[in-house]
Amino acid sequence: MKYFLESKSGRTFEVEVNELADEAMSVTIDGREISADFIDVDRRGQYAAVLDWCSFAASIEEADEQHLTVNIAGESFEMTAYDERERAAQSVAGQGAPKAELIKASMPGLIISLSTEVGAVLQAGESVAVLEAMKMQNEVCCQNDGVVVEVLVAVGDNVEANQPLMRLAPPPES
Amino acid sequence: MTIKKILIANRGEIAVRIQRSCRDLGIETVAIYSEADRNALHVRYANQAYPLGGNTPAESYLRSDLIIQIAKQSGADAIHPGFGFLSENGQFADDVKAAGLLFIGPTAAAMAIMGDKLASRAAMIEAGVPVVPGSIDAVVDADEARSQADEMGYPVMLKASAGGGGKGIRVVHTAGEVEAAFNTASGEAQSAFGDGRMYVEKFVVKPRHIEIQVLADRHGNVVHFGERECSIQRRHQKLIEEAPSPVIDEASREAMGKAAVEAATAVNYESAGTVEFLWSEGKFYFLEMNTRIQVEHGITEEVYSVDLIAEMIKIAQGDKVDHLSGRHPRGHAIEVRLNAEDPENNFMPSLGVIDNLRWPGGPGVRIDSGIYPLMEVTPYYDSMLAKLIAYGCDREQARRRMLRMLQELHVGGVKTSAGIALNVLQSAEFIEGDYDTGFLERYMEEERHHAIGDEAPDDLEEIAAIVAAMHRQRAGKRRTVSSTTNSANSWVTAARREQHTRGH
Repeated sequence: MKYFLESKSGRTFEVEVNELADEAMSVTIDGREISADFIDVDRRGQYAAVLDWCSFAASIEEADEQHLTVNIAGESFEMTAYDERERAAQSVAGQGAPKAELIKASMPGLIISLSTEVGAVLQAGESVAVLEAMKMQNEVCCQNDGVVVEVLVAVGDNVEANQPLMRLAPPPES
Repeated sequence: MTIKKILIANRGEIAVRIQRSCRDLGIETVAIYSEADRNALHVRYANQAYPLGGNTPAESYLRSDLIIQIAKQSGADAIHPGFGFLSENGQFADDVKAAGLLFIGPTAAAMAIMGDKLASRAAMIEAGVPVVPGSIDAVVDADEARSQADEMGYPVMLKASAGGGGKGIRVVHTAGEVEAAFNTASGEAQSAFGDGRMYVEKFVVKPRHIEIQVLADRHGNVVHFGERECSIQRRHQKLIEEAPSPVIDEASREAMGKAAVEAATAVNYESAGTVEFLWSEGKFYFLEMNTRIQVEHGITEEVYSVDLIAEMIKIAQGDKVDHLSGRHPRGHAIEVRLNAEDPENNFMPSLGVIDNLRWPGGPGVRIDSGIYPLMEVTPYYDSMLAKLIAYGCDREQARRRMLRMLQELHVGGVKTSAGIALNVLQSAEFIEGDYDTGFLERYMEEERHHAIGDEAPDDLEEIAAIVAAMHRQRAGKRRTVSSTTNSANSWVTAARREQHTRGH
């Protein structure tokens, strides 16, 4: 199976993995063949990898099947990994127009203040609320440019992780 | 009297740390725990354990009356408050004593002076300890703060009189920022400490945060244990500390040590305490005194061969500390705080279930931890999970050992500060010892934190891509197998996946 990987830093990799007999694998990365021995140590995400006779202790965490964080020697690499079929499905879907955004609480906490209101035009990264959790007050920021169309919480509300706080529409054309 | 049993009014890493010294001294321990902490290490390591109920600090570890009642009921002789929670609450210290128990810490009177930034400044000025120029009294509102700041010249610090731990403090660079900063900092202090009074202080440019550890007994002896360098911090939350400081020589150490001893003496201090200084271009200014054991006390213990927790206990018994004076640091220690937070996302707290825990080992390694596999990191308490301490004969050996520790370490289930610490330790500034309290924020902004420092002959990102692909191949195969043959395993996988999702 061929996999298409993209790291958070924007690098892309094409890795082909074929299973051989006795758990062995044949691996090529960007067309270059390497020797690979890959053992699942504990069935909880720790792997012993020997690639071209270089040894790596790697740990993997899955947000979901396609979104992985690979930890090697204290460094973390966030990767998206699509196989051939998923990649084909993706290119059919294509890239959409500017997106509406639902701003969510990243953790459970208390809404200390709201610094915006319906109708406000926001720039990406702008602070919209202050959320208190773990004794610290944290700013909640929007990811994209947009217009506030709905505020779903009030000051003093206790919110759960991932609870929607406000809804943004795409910004007006300028 | 001799203490035979101690109730530890705390949780997590510091509660375990105190229990370990108690074991070394042959003292029994009593743990208290919230509902969220029933399985915690500090409960399992204790001789006795009592539930407090509740989850939030107010429902549990801040219930002073209940805690004192449990201490009496359990037959404890003394209470150790650890840090945070009730550790700097003078009323609690008094109530403990009124109940006929020993409080392992300073007197309420010393806490009252040092816990109030304005009162402590006044006391230090009187004792001849250098302080940063700033307001003498609290300012009434943002307007007064602005006019004082205009007079002093920007940048200035707006500080809550009751503040601490990074709460209630803002740096202001222009007059226009004063009002917003004043209101958020004052509000933060009001909600955290019930006291929103603010004052203005001149901002010392490119300062280092250097603090002196002291121990004082009730017979008037005060001993210092040199400095800790704590300038690698962000929003006043420390990330990496080291002892000794790369910029402090023997003469400066003695000068700062003497000032710290004078500061402690001025308030008739008793027990362990830390006198924090701002250090800039060879000059130092009193910042505040923390009237408790500190998170980073372990690096002082390593270079001075002293158990500060054990000494606190002995001081509470009435023992003297004069035999500990005149010591010098030996070797070098570096601490990294392992926090459940996401450096890539503005250091936001990261919640989840600890999984795939792998601790480092070998020479020069000390781990003070409160975590265990499958522990849930909840939003109720501080995000610090553990402290990693590397000891070496010299600074470079300690640094290399810390790099090794961070490379061996793995904590799954939550994001942690380990990765950013690994990169900072390899930066030119850290290697040279040339950094100040603004270093970490500048470093994060420059996005150099992806750069690999010392040595990394491998293209780890490419390796990660290969590993990710092989993992998907294997995981896909396992999923098809486990759905038919191993239902127990897929339950575990499903539960784990749910936990991951909840954590994001």
